[in-house]
Amino acid sequence: MALLRVLAVARKALGQLAHDRRTVAFVLVVPLVLILVFGYGFGGQPTHIATVVVNEDRGPAGNAFLSALPGGVLDLSSVGSNVSAWSAVNSGSDRAAIVIGPNFTALAKAGTVSLTLYLDGTSPTVAAAVVSAVQAALQGAFASNGTGPSVRVVSDYVYGTSTTPFINTIAPGIMALAILFITTVLSIIVLVRERSAGLLERLFASPLRPSEFVAGHALSLTVVALAQVTVLFVSALLIFHATFTGNLLFAFGVLLLFGVGNLGLGMLLSAAARSEFQAIQFIPLLLIPQILFAGALFPLEAIPVAFRPISEILPLTYAARALQDILLRGWGVAGVAVDLLALAVYAALMLGGAILLVRRQA
Amino acid sequence: MSAPPSSAGPPSERPSSASAAGVPPPAISVRELVKRFGEVPALDRVTLEVPSGQVLGLLGPNGAGKTTLIRILLGLTRPTAGEASVLGRPPSDPAGRARVGYMPQDLAVYMDLSVTENVELFGRLYGVSGERLRARAREVLALVRLTERRHSLVADLSGGMRRRVSLAAALVADPELLLLDEPTVGVDPELRFEFWEFFHRLTQDGKTVVLTTHYLEEANRADRVVFLHAGTVLATGAPAEVKARTQTETLDDAFLRLVRDRAHGSG
Repeated sequence: MALLRVLAVARKALGQLAHDRRTVAFVLVVPLVLILVFGYGFGGQPTHIATVVVNEDRGPAGNAFLSALPGGVLDLSSVGSNVSAWSAVNSGSDRAAIVIGPNFTALAKAGTVSLTLYLDGTSPTVAAAVVSAVQAALQGAFASNGTGPSVRVVSDYVYGTSTTPFINTIAPGIMALAILFITTVLSIIVLVRERSAGLLERLFASPLRPSEFVAGHALSLTVVALAQVTVLFVSALLIFHATFTGNLLFAFGVLLLFGVGNLGLGMLLSAAARSEFQAIQFIPLLLIPQILFAGALFPLEAIPVAFRPISEILPLTYAARALQDILLRGWGVAGVAVDLLALAVYAALMLGGAILLVRRQA
Repeated sequence: MSAPPSSAGPPSERPSSASAAGVPPPAISVRELVKRFGEVPALDRVTLEVPSGQVLGLLGPNGAGKTTLIRILLGLTRPTAGEASVLGRPPSDPAGRARVGYMPQDLAVYMDLSVTENVELFGRLYGVSGERLRARAREVLALVRLTERRHSLVADLSGGMRRRVSLAAALVADPELLLLDEPTVGVDPELRFEFWEFFHRLTQDGKTVVLTTHYLEEANRADRVVFLHAGTVLATGAPAEVKARTQTETLDDAFLRLVRDRAHGSG
């Protein structure tokens, strides 16, 4: 690869943007719109929330309560101790833990049902669903026998708080989504335009190599992504007073990796398409499933169970999860290693495919 | 991974290598070239040699195979059979492509970039940069008379001006061989005259210009013409030679005569 030619391509792409103010506005306004629109109260009803239970109760009330829990909302598994319950939530493998103390039955007889919840506040929708399921089960189990004990649920947030601003929790997903939008749309459109105008042919009649063409566009995209992410961070921080615990630079790196993968996929599909019209049709095909099933806007738990396997093959799932873990949980590389690996494999495969196919359309 | 030094193609090397050999090697050499799209042969055993330092007119009606031949010479498409060499290299060699300027028939310039941005982009792709690039861009834009419009977006220019931008982009890297597909379409007669003057000036520096044109009469100004018809070479030679051989007054008539003779000969 020759740097001069890579830079020439990047410069060309940025020059095109610079002459096109509407597209620049689009690039910068899309994330803002997304954060405003989705920032306010979006959310399906979560189901099958992974939850661990510690039942240390010496009497029958603990089991009575557990059997009163509404089916479908929580996926329960038992652990032996308070500590392992907490660490299940802390590691992210479970969203919540229900801790039933040894004196649960005794206290209930005395007039107070009390238990502790460890909650993952990175998704308030999920946390709230856990709390309300638990409250309902307590009411059902104990209000009906006439004793009417007062109910006390101690909620202990492992991440976030019950007052964590919703925008906080949605922002990482919005960022990933904004990057997905712009990289997919731009890469498909770029190739379609170059192809229809005979420019691709002219470019490849020069010494330009396909890898340089792809790298140049990846570079220009990085500049665009940087501007976009800046808008996202600034609007989340200033308008919504979001607070992020994690490393912003690391988050940006993840977004970039994700964006480069999308660029490759966009170019790959655009090159594989037989016509410009076909290429454009890939845009909704790429965006809609990811918007719905990747856990960027709605928690994965709010996705119907039948569709959850789809989530696992969507790149946005990994990008959104990594960003949530980095920005909300403050995790480092080790915590998001699996997601990073998935995104790296995605980027490598897509870029490789794009490099192989892009010249064929010249 | 930088390109091999030869791809930069310093102009100073060219005259010496040409003179050292006595007879310069052909700029283009094509032997028994066949290109089929499905069943249809676009080129049918074309053999052709283009000496360097000439303006060669590649003539023929639409579908004769001119553009296919040029695309093969640029490495954009592979021949079905036969051999091609451009400046002594196979067309697929990117280092060779750096010394070949190309102006496609379609208006392949960026509408959403300015004139200068377009020309400089192609300069960089061919390995020209820095002050030399800026100087070359100024030079070629003056040549195609677009100096005043150099900051305009190509989208804001007339059709003829856009073709001139495209020609400037083909010229900016000072290539040894120019492959120009219909360079004079939509160019007014005065400027067309200047283009031809310029093409001949280039050949004096040992450069080679291969162009296709619909205006058969302007091809009288070429050093040599090649008539292509249905993927085969009908005739090749200096315009005067071809006219004398066919006992015609114009290249148009010469072409028609040759097509007719071919039809009688084969049928």
